[in-house]
Amino acid sequence: MVGLVFTGYRSVHIVSYYYDISPYGSQRSLRLRKVPAEDTSAVQFDWASTPENAEEPDEPRNLRELPLHMGLKRAVWQVQKMRVPVVSRWGSWRIKQSKTFRHFCEIAKEVLSYLVPWKKGIQKIGGHFGGGVQSYFLFLRFLVILNFLSFLLIAAFVLIPSIVFRSIGFNSSIPLSVNLTSVDECLQYDPKPDPLAVFYTYFLDLVSGTGFMEYSYLFYGYYHNTMVESKGFSYNIPLAYLLTAAFYFIFCLICMIIRMGNVACAVVAKGGGAVGGYSMLVFTGWDHGLQGDRAAKHKQNNLRYQLQVDLEEERLQRKAASLTLGQAFALYALRGFLNLVVLALIGGTFYGIAEVTKFSQKTTGFNRLLLQYLPSIVITTSNFVVPLLCDKIALLEKHSPSTTVILALLRAVFLRLVSLGVLLYSLWEQITCNGDTSSADCTPCGYNYEQYKCWETRVGQEMYKLTLFDFLITIATLILVEFPRRITVDHCSCKLAQWVGRQEFLVPTNVLALVYSQTVVWTGALFSPLLPLINTVKFILFFYCKKITLFQNCQPALRTFRSTSSNFFFLLVLLFGWMLASVVLIYSVAKIHPSHGCGPFRFSPSMWHVVPEAIDMLTSTSKDFLIYIGSQKFSIPLFIFSCVLLCYMGALTSVYGKSVALLKSQCKLEQRDKQFLVRQIEELNATMQNEEPQRPQRDTERFYQTEQQWNGHNNYAFIPDEDPRAY
Amino acid sequence: MGGTASNLPKELLSEYQELTFLTKQEINEAHKKFCQLQARENGPNERVSMQNILTLPELKSNPFRERVCHVFSTSDRKDGSLSFEDFLDLLSAFSDSATLEIKSHYAFRIFDFDDDGTLDSEDLKKLVNCLTGETDDARLTLEEMRQLIGNVSPSHRGQTAIRSASLTQTRFLLQILEESDIDKDGTVNLSEFQHVISRSPDFVSSFKIVL
Repeated sequence: MVGLVFTGYRSVHIVSYYYDISPYGSQRSLRLRKVPAEDTSAVQFDWASTPENAEEPDEPRNLRELPLHMGLKRAVWQVQKMRVPVVSRWGSWRIKQSKTFRHFCEIAKEVLSYLVPWKKGIQKIGGHFGGGVQSYFLFLRFLVILNFLSFLLIAAFVLIPSIVFRSIGFNSSIPLSVNLTSVDECLQYDPKPDPLAVFYTYFLDLVSGTGFMEYSYLFYGYYHNTMVESKGFSYNIPLAYLLTAAFYFIFCLICMIIRMGNVACAVVAKGGGAVGGYSMLVFTGWDHGLQGDRAAKHKQNNLRYQLQVDLEEERLQRKAASLTLGQAFALYALRGFLNLVVLALIGGTFYGIAEVTKFSQKTTGFNRLLLQYLPSIVITTSNFVVPLLCDKIALLEKHSPSTTVILALLRAVFLRLVSLGVLLYSLWEQITCNGDTSSADCTPCGYNYEQYKCWETRVGQEMYKLTLFDFLITIATLILVEFPRRITVDHCSCKLAQWVGRQEFLVPTNVLALVYSQTVVWTGALFSPLLPLINTVKFILFFYCKKITLFQNCQPALRTFRSTSSNFFFLLVLLFGWMLASVVLIYSVAKIHPSHGCGPFRFSPSMWHVVPEAIDMLTSTSKDFLIYIGSQKFSIPLFIFSCVLLCYMGALTSVYGKSVALLKSQCKLEQRDKQFLVRQIEELNATMQNEEPQRPQRDTERFYQTEQQWNGHNNYAFIPDEDPRAY
Repeated sequence: MGGTASNLPKELLSEYQELTFLTKQEINEAHKKFCQLQARENGPNERVSMQNILTLPELKSNPFRERVCHVFSTSDRKDGSLSFEDFLDLLSAFSDSATLEIKSHYAFRIFDFDDDGTLDSEDLKKLVNCLTGETDDARLTLEEMRQLIGNVSPSHRGQTAIRSASLTQTRFLLQILEESDIDKDGTVNLSEFQHVISRSPDFVSSFKIVL
C-alpha cells in the first residue's frame, strides 16, 4: 500500500484515470477547494475487495488491461493471488478447465503463427508503404491459403482415389439401367494426342489445355465413374466429385464470412459516418507501424493532403447545397448522359466478348492459338481500357473525391465480373443450343455434340486459358511496362518523364484483379479439379512479383485507402464473385446433361442424379432423415427462425445506438450542472470574501500547494497533511 | 528486471506473459533487443537512456517518439529512460492483442503533451504539428483555414486560455473541439477521446509497433 503511494503522484494520477469516471478539466476549480489528503485517498484500487462470484476466468485478462506499469500490476497480482476465494468443487473444476483451455489456445496460436507465411515481409511492406498497400498483401495471403486448403480437400477426396483406382485397374462400371443403343454416337470421345505430333505442338497444348493436357487429371474428362465396393470398403467417385465441389464452395464461403465478420465489427462500430471527421483523423491518423524517415515524411504529407481533401469535400458539399435549380438540373442531366455513355461502353464490351467467344469456338483454322485465346485477349484489353475511360468520364461528373473513387471501383467490378458472365453465357448458348435441347444440333445427346464432344472439359479449358493469360499479362506488364518506366523516370531528365513520374501502387485495381482470378478459379473448379493448385502457385508467384515491383518501381500513393472499410469492400466483391460461380455450378449440376463420352457422370441424366441414387442405397433410417432435412417441413421453419434472429439483432443494434445518444446528452447535462455549481461556489466565495477580508491569502496558498502536487509528479516533499506556512 | 544477456528465467517469463499482452516469442525478442541497447550504454545500467531507445528503427521516425518514452518511463529523473519492464509495457500496449481500451488510454497520455490529464488547445496544436510535419510551408494554407471558419461559431470556451500564434489554426482547433468535446468545457478528456476513438475502425491496427 505504501509502495502504491510512494511511486509518486503519477500513479495516483494513473489509477484515477482508470477507475474514476469523472472528467478532469472542469473539476479543477472544485478540487482546488478540497484538502489534498482527500484526493490521495481517492486512489481507487480496491485492495480489500473480495470477488463477488468465485469463478473469474477473466482475471488475467483484467490484469493485462490495467493501464498501470509493471511494478503496480505485479503488486495487484500478488494481492489477487493472496485472496483465497471460497469456491465449490464445481467452481474450481470450471476455473481449472478454463485455464487449460486458455493455455491450449495460446499454444495453438503460437503454432499457427509459425505456419502462416510471409509475416516479416508483409510487416516490412506495411512499414514502408502504410496500411492500404499492406491490406492488399494480406488479402493475397488469405487467397493463397484458401486455395491451398481447397486443393488439399480436392486432392484427398477426388484426385488421390482416382489415381489409386486407376493404377489398381478398376475401370468404369456401366450401370445396367442405361439404354446404350440410342446414344451410341454420343459416346465417341478420343482426345488422345497424336504420337507423331511436332514438338512445338506440345507448347501450344500446354498453353491452351488441349492435346496431352486435355486427357489428364487436369480436366473433368479424364475421371471415371468408378464405384468401388469390396469387403466393407466402398467409394463412389462421382458422388465424391460432386460433394467435394459442393464442400469446396461452402468452405470458401465460410472462410470469407469469418473474415468479413472480423472486419465488419470494426466497420459497424464506426457508425456516425462523416461526423467527427477532423477529430478522428487527428486522433487516429498516425500509423505507428511506419518505419524510416521517408515513410514518415510521406505519411505526414498524406495526412496534410487528407485534411485538405476533407476541406475540399466540405466545400463541394456546400457548393452543391447552394446550386440554383437550373444549375442542378444541368448537372444531373450531364451526369445522366455520362452514365449512359459508360453503360454504352460497357454494353459494347459485352457484345464484343459474346461475338468473339462464338467465333473462337467455331473456327479450327491455322492460327489456332491466337483464335483460342481471343476471348481472354478481349476481356483483358477491355479490363484495361474501359476503366481508364470511365475514370476520365468520372472527372467530368464533378462528384466529391470519395464518391468518385467508389463509383470508379463499382464500375470496374461490374465490368470484370459481368464480362466473365457474358463469356459463360455465350458458352452456354453454344453448348445447349440456346437452351433448346430439342433443336437439331442437340437432339441425340442433349447438348451440342458436334462441337463439344466433352463440353465440361471445354469449359474447363476456357477457365484454364483465362487463368494462364491473366498470369502472363501481369508478368508481361511487370517486365515491359513497369521496369522500363522506372528506368526512364530515374535516368531521363526530360519533362515528360518527370511529369509521368514513378508508378503508384494502386490498391483497388490490384485487388479487383485478384477477385477476378479467384472467380475464374471458382467457376472452373468443377470442370478442372487441379485449377486451385494452379491458382495457388500463380498467387504465390504474384506475391513475390508484386513485392519486387513495389519496392523497386513504385512510390507510395498520395491518396491512400482507408484500410479497414476497404477490406470489407474487397471481401464483399469477392462474395459477389463467389455467387456468380455458384450460380454456374448449380446450373451445370442440375440442368445440363453431362457428356456421354467422358467424365464421372457419363451415364447419369444430370450430375445431381448421383445423389438420389446414393441415398437410395442407404439404410432406411438415414434415408428418411436425409429426406426430411431436404424437405420443406424442415427448411421453412429454419428460414423463419433465421429471420427472427436477424430482426432481433437489428433491434439490439438500434437500442445500443439510442442508449449511446442518451448517454451523450446526459454527459452534456452533467457538465451544465457542474458549471452551475461552480458559478454558485464562486458567488458564495465572493460573498464570503466580502465578509472575511483576512481569509483570501490562505486560500491562495492552498491553491499554490495543490497546483504543485497536481503538476509536479514526485513532489513528496509536500506532505499532504501539513499545514501551509502561516502568514 | 533483465536477466542474463542470453535468457530470461522461466518464472519471470511466465510472469511477464501473465501481466502483458505479449507472447513468449515476443518477450524473448524484446529481451534480446533490450540487451543490445544496454550494451551501448556507458557503464552497467538497468535503464536504457532515451537516446538509445530512440535508435530503434521502429521508433526512430515516429514524431511521437519522445512522448512515448516519457509516458512509459517510470524513472525518478523524468528523463524518459526505460527499464526492461517499461519496455515490455510499451510493447504490450502497442501489441497486436492489446485491447482498444488500453490503446486509447495510452494514446491519450501520449497526446497529452503537458501531462495535465486533458487535451487542451495547446496539446491539440502540438498534435496537429506533429502529424503534418512542423515546417512552416507544411501548415495548412490560410485559404484552407478560412474555409473552416464558415460553419463554426465560436461558443463559450470555459476557462481554457487559447494562446496560439495563428488565428486560423485556432479556428481549425475549434473545429476539432466542436466535434469531440461533448461536455463543452474546452478540453477533451479521456472519455470523450475514447468515444471518438471507438468510432474509428483503423485505430487498433494503426496503433501497433511490432519488433
